[in-house]
Amino acid sequence: METIEGRVGGLEIKVLVANRGEIACRILRACKEAGHPTVAICAPNDDGSLFTELADEVVLLSGDSIAETYLNQQQILAAASKTGATAVHPGFGFLSERADFATAVSEAGLVWIGPSASAIEKMGDKMTARQTMRAAGVPVIPGEEVDGDGEGALATLRQAAERVGYPLLLKASSGGGGKGMRAVHEPGEFDQAAAGARREAIAAFGDGRIYIERLLSGSKHVEIQVLADQHGRTIHLGERECSVQRRHQKVFEEAPGPTMTPELREAMGQAAVAAAQAVDYVGAGTVEFLLAPSGEFFFLEMNTRIQVEHPVTELVTGVDIVREQLRIAAGEPMSCGPLMIRGHAIEVRLYAEDAANGFLPSIGPLAVFRPPEGPGIRLDTGVREGDEVTPNYDPMLAKLIVWAPSRGEALEKMRRALDEFVVLGTTTNIEFLRDLCDAVPVVDGSTTTTTIDDLWPSGWNPPHDLMLEEAALLAAASAETMGLHRRNATGDSSGTAQGPPSPFTTLQRRYP
Amino acid sequence: MQHVFASNDGPIEVALVKDGEAYTLEGHSVTKHSHGRLRLLLRNGRTCLAHVAKVDDTWWVHLNGRTFRWERVEPGSSSASDEGGLVAPMPGKVLEVHVNEGDVVEAGEPLMVLEAMKMEHRIVASEAGKVTAVHFGVGEQVAQGATLLEIEEAS
Repeated sequence: METIEGRVGGLEIKVLVANRGEIACRILRACKEAGHPTVAICAPNDDGSLFTELADEVVLLSGDSIAETYLNQQQILAAASKTGATAVHPGFGFLSERADFATAVSEAGLVWIGPSASAIEKMGDKMTARQTMRAAGVPVIPGEEVDGDGEGALATLRQAAERVGYPLLLKASSGGGGKGMRAVHEPGEFDQAAAGARREAIAAFGDGRIYIERLLSGSKHVEIQVLADQHGRTIHLGERECSVQRRHQKVFEEAPGPTMTPELREAMGQAAVAAAQAVDYVGAGTVEFLLAPSGEFFFLEMNTRIQVEHPVTELVTGVDIVREQLRIAAGEPMSCGPLMIRGHAIEVRLYAEDAANGFLPSIGPLAVFRPPEGPGIRLDTGVREGDEVTPNYDPMLAKLIVWAPSRGEALEKMRRALDEFVVLGTTTNIEFLRDLCDAVPVVDGSTTTTTIDDLWPSGWNPPHDLMLEEAALLAAASAETMGLHRRNATGDSSGTAQGPPSPFTTLQRRYP
Repeated sequence: MQHVFASNDGPIEVALVKDGEAYTLEGHSVTKHSHGRLRLLLRNGRTCLAHVAKVDDTWWVHLNGRTFRWERVEPGSSSASDEGGLVAPMPGKVLEVHVNEGDVVEAGEPLMVLEAMKMEHRIVASEAGKVTAVHFGVGEQVAQGATLLEIEEAS
């Protein structure tokens, strides 16, 4: 009897990836490696994207908006049924933390590659999650949950804010990714902030309920990766530090945490495992904590899905988290041995945004897209040269991840990699990320959630370098004179007219 | 070999000097390299490769880890200046309009809120003045660069 290695006793699954871009590529490749056939779904404005080329089959969805396409449960389930897919991987964002979708997938007789609907529900509603964690003995940030989301709730919130004290954070109960979140430093700012948070929450999640947390300044954002299989095993894969954030969006993530000790890792790891077990968690998940300067840590929230920054954990633990997700969903035991952390990994998020101009999203063609290469460098992206960056989706272009034996060497590698990264035609934050690698708190590992604001209180600007500006001006003028803009597809300015004829054209002539 | 590029301080005229295979400017020199790249010899004696690409009228140049943009001004063209106009920094939807025509605003006062890429962006008055036109209402889609409102600066 033959068994395929790594699938002993597991289900044969055909995986529909209910996502797009970079994470769809990551999942489709993992499925290919595991021998699972794949189906991609694709909105009309995504036709021809890289991820559609990595799938065995592609179903073109109809509709222009995200609501009509990647958030359209009926259309996605119809695609699964049409193609005979037997499992759904939601990736991150979109429907990944929607309990109703997890339920619908299961009711359609498909395998949901993620935790149960009830676990998603308990963790997805941030107020319920705080209550569940308190009950499980996991410390939560001091704050208050407020019931109801009508106009009257604003008055109740204002009263609760007085009890919690300023500065504070307003958070959407259904929130995530910084949406529906506002920091409030004094009572005078409260009404406008609460109205903004509420409106953003209703627009993004259809739920305007808001809760309040004390703003613990000077804290680090430290999160623990957990994995749980259907055979009763729940483990953690150590921490990631993601303190460097801009408007609550992470931009620089690393593992292990630069200030972590084995004792603290064990304590936080155990708290994370307890959090997962409290909701009978299955699959990959992340328990986020705030680590206060006092060394105390508090539960922030649990993300019940694969996370953007999962690669740094993969590089230091040697665990392929997406592959484990597939294994667990197919009913196999996870394959990880005891936790072993080796070296240091750093990830930065490349955004199509103008860092020198308030980080406004930018659009344009990727006329040149030339990532760095070499040992210890990993690029997770959903784009390639020639693609167009549009305002339709999230502006994240790629994740650049490096691994080196030590933190210092990892930073050196990241600096080199960012210097080598060429993106022309669309403004990116590459130079900002490069500058970040030289910032004192990043170099010495003392980053906190306010590091970016502390470093650049009135916005970031690239360093002024007259000599390079002039050299660039010379390059631009010379390129115009040389006619370099009249390039052909091979990137050679003068085509095949120069140099010896290509052997392939000769071949074609011989065999017409 | 005269080219004009736009800058914040007005147009810059660049007169290239041809020196054999190379072009020179301000002590830097450049020659053509493979795959559409340029080899630069900087005046400090260092060399580097520059990647270049032209998108519309703008030359994008990457060298030494830095990316520069130089917009070429075609001879005879005049750049349209929208004095006092506030333009949309990105394509999006108007969420809120805080002012009406004729309103007097202070510098820093919020004028409009746009939504793009699922985030809110506030348009604020950079100078004190009087609103002379409001071109978009709540719910309308705006293109990048569209003039949203016009303000006459207070004298």
